[in-house]
Amino acid sequence: MSRRNASLHPGSRTKDVAAPVLLMLLILAAWEALVRIFAVPTFVVPAPSEILAQIYLERAMIFGHLQVTLFEIVAGYLLACVVGFGLSVAIVYSKAFRRGVLPLIVAAQTIPVIAIAPILVIWFGYNDVPRIIITALVAFFPLTVSFVTGLESLESELINFFRSLNANGLQIFLKLRLPAALPNIFAGLKVATTLAVIGATISEWVGASAGLGYLMAQDTQQINTARVFASLVVLGTVGILFFAFIGLLQRFFMPWVYGRPRFLARPRRASPAAATMRAKQIGTSAR
Amino acid sequence: MAQARLDIANLRVTYAGNGQAGVTAIEKVDLTLEPNDFVSLIGPSGCGKSTLFNVIAGLQIPESGAVALDGGSIVGRPGCVAYMMQRDLLLPWRTVLENVTLGPELAGQPLARARDTAMTLLHRFGLEGFENAYPAALSGGMRQRAALLRTILCERSVILLDEPLGALDALTRASMHEWLLGIQREFQRTMILITHDPDEAVYLSDRVYVASPRPMRIAGIVPIELPRDRGRDVTLTPEFAEHKRQVLALLHAPERARSAAA
Repeated sequence: MSRRNASLHPGSRTKDVAAPVLLMLLILAAWEALVRIFAVPTFVVPAPSEILAQIYLERAMIFGHLQVTLFEIVAGYLLACVVGFGLSVAIVYSKAFRRGVLPLIVAAQTIPVIAIAPILVIWFGYNDVPRIIITALVAFFPLTVSFVTGLESLESELINFFRSLNANGLQIFLKLRLPAALPNIFAGLKVATTLAVIGATISEWVGASAGLGYLMAQDTQQINTARVFASLVVLGTVGILFFAFIGLLQRFFMPWVYGRPRFLARPRRASPAAATMRAKQIGTSAR
Repeated sequence: MAQARLDIANLRVTYAGNGQAGVTAIEKVDLTLEPNDFVSLIGPSGCGKSTLFNVIAGLQIPESGAVALDGGSIVGRPGCVAYMMQRDLLLPWRTVLENVTLGPELAGQPLARARDTAMTLLHRFGLEGFENAYPAALSGGMRQRAALLRTILCERSVILLDEPLGALDALTRASMHEWLLGIQREFQRTMILITHDPDEAVYLSDRVYVASPRPMRIAGIVPIELPRDRGRDVTLTPEFAEHKRQVLALLHAPERARSAAA
């Protein structure tokens, strides 16, 4: 009965969520069955039930390390955003900067971050700073590229129009370039969430004494595979939540695409659907 | 006689070419508008009409010549006249109300007052109830009316209209013509309209300037001697047809001259 109800509302949230959850459950069930049928040893591939049990049993340790990693993820991500935004503005507004610095940034991307990690430890010491920098280094490039794309996505007609209204450079940036760039900016911010999680994890492989990446490296050496998987699942969940959070921010900041959040809806306004309907009616009667 | 509202004298505009010699876009153009004039500029595509508007709007510097608004030069000074471009250029991230008050907002004028003015005018522009809708929810005609309301709210005495109705279907256009004429009379603005459509030019204007292509010159001026209060049915009169014939004759003069020479 409930399934029939869900199918009555195509595109409803329940249905959107149901499909991936169902697929996930199917994969997990198959995994569990295969591990049990072929009696795969835990240190090779642990069964999903075992991974869940590990998360529960080792929760104090895992979530203690998670706090360290979470801080690195957020700090590195914010650093990447600030640097990426600054770079993209400089690239968009200065031809010299674009010609001189952009190739260097691209070239720097070819250096494996893990290789410069020890150098960062030498420079900044045995603390959070090198790990935050590594996280930012992994995340900032796609971010910068999408920021630049966004800030340049304007038609020259619109800039001319703003100039005809005697708008100054700051007004053109704040009221035209920035809002026009938002779709690309959020695309970059979303990609960067997963990269920040990856960056923070690998940053802990070099010169760290805490964090989920550190824990995974330790557990791998001790062939504690179940706990490695447990950490992975927790990290993956963090990545998904982070991504979803930026998605929420995007909905909030781009109401013209996603509609206004219900708590911000203005009292006198008709629903967008009704407004469109009326627009069509008026359009027809004008003809 | 008092000084003209807008006076363009002996204008010449050149684009810097690759070699030493630039390309001349506009040559020896004179244009004079009295307050509340409605004047059309008609000519073949790419003849430099939009360039002329860019110069009047202060976005482009002419090589020589003068552009004066109420006697003062406005060469290279954007913001002195209101400019409505070919596409409506409504900002998709702003509501209708936020879009139409853009001019006062950028000029640093109090927003509350601009919003009040806009709210009282929404009805006249057929946008009542849509103040908080985003442009994506509007029909083509509504978008153009919103763009014109935004232009009116810039509170400039002269309005440049660069083919504002070009993208609309014929029926919507026809109804927009009458409405536009009413708006021009009601708000007492001096308007210059760029168009490709001789009917539109004759119906709306007090004078039609016919432009010749590359470099743009004024091939001739057709004064429209129709009553200033004109309804749609004026388009069916012999006087209207005669005016249209004059405009078309000037438009096709270069071709005829060429075929005569051949």
